[in-house]
Amino acid sequence: MDNLTIAATERSPAVDFDFAAGRLSLKGESYPEDASAVFGPIFSALETFFAATEGREVTFDFDMAYFNSSSAKALMNMFQMLDQAAASGCRLTVNWFFAADDDTMKEFGEDFSEDLDHVTFNLVAVE
Amino acid sequence: MLAKQYRSFKHDLDQRGIIFSFSGYLSEEILYSLGNALRQKMTLEDANITTVKKVFSVFVEQAQNIIRYSAEKLSGDAGQTIELSSGMVTIGTENDRFFIVCANVVLATDEPRLRQRLELLRSMDRDAIKAYYKEQLREAPEEQSKGATIGLIEIARRASEPIEFDFDPIDDQKFFFCMKVSI
Repeated sequence: MDNLTIAATERSPAVDFDFAAGRLSLKGESYPEDASAVFGPIFSALETFFAATEGREVTFDFDMAYFNSSSAKALMNMFQMLDQAAASGCRLTVNWFFAADDDTMKEFGEDFSEDLDHVTFNLVAVE
Repeated sequence: MLAKQYRSFKHDLDQRGIIFSFSGYLSEEILYSLGNALRQKMTLEDANITTVKKVFSVFVEQAQNIIRYSAEKLSGDAGQTIELSSGMVTIGTENDRFFIVCANVVLATDEPRLRQRLELLRSMDRDAIKAYYKEQLREAPEEQSKGATIGLIEIARRASEPIEFDFDPIDDQKFFFCMKVSI
């Protein structure tokens, strides 16, 4: 399937999904006016990808500096989708990057990881 | 006279420790610009990153609440549909803490529900707020909500003290709503 690349805007993250390589990434900040407009296309692409991705190795890098509450909700839904994909056989690794002195982003990483039973989750402090 | 009037107005704001105060029609673009100025100002003053994030986060949730829920709206069609919401966001410092105040008009029919939600958050301690946030993050948003129904919980989570709030009746149909958050 085609890769999904969306440039970051002032209030939405950069999306770089290289499906062939099994390398997905979300990077930047997210506090858009309408979170569903930003996350809708991302969810559609992930659904299509995971429907055909049994047994593959996939790495998902999250490098978010800030997101608002509606984006947090969207990310939570995304993690539920990732855990389901991993439960049905996809070997999924999530890297959650955060600035070493940023307690808020570290805590979000911990919160999200608590719900994951099938995904390998790495909390990565960046100095 | 003009300079004297506005000097006095500015002096009053300074005395209250206000870094900036915006009153009027608020848009997402204004939110972005004010938010950036706020982060730059705090970073230049060496506020730690966690404090900057907390203040910015509360500011964004409050400003987006005004944009979504203010009952004082102006809408029309200028080539494309435009809707503007009026309100007020004020950020300042007092007793070595940052505070963020938002204010806007709310419908009397929305007041009991908003009051109830804020009182519930006020009654919770830090751990209870965190648990409530995580629980609501997994729930589908409420039908009438344009966001994720967790903006107020996010605000309470970042606050160092219980949220202060008040409703001032304007007439039978409207209240002036005000909320103050200390970081």
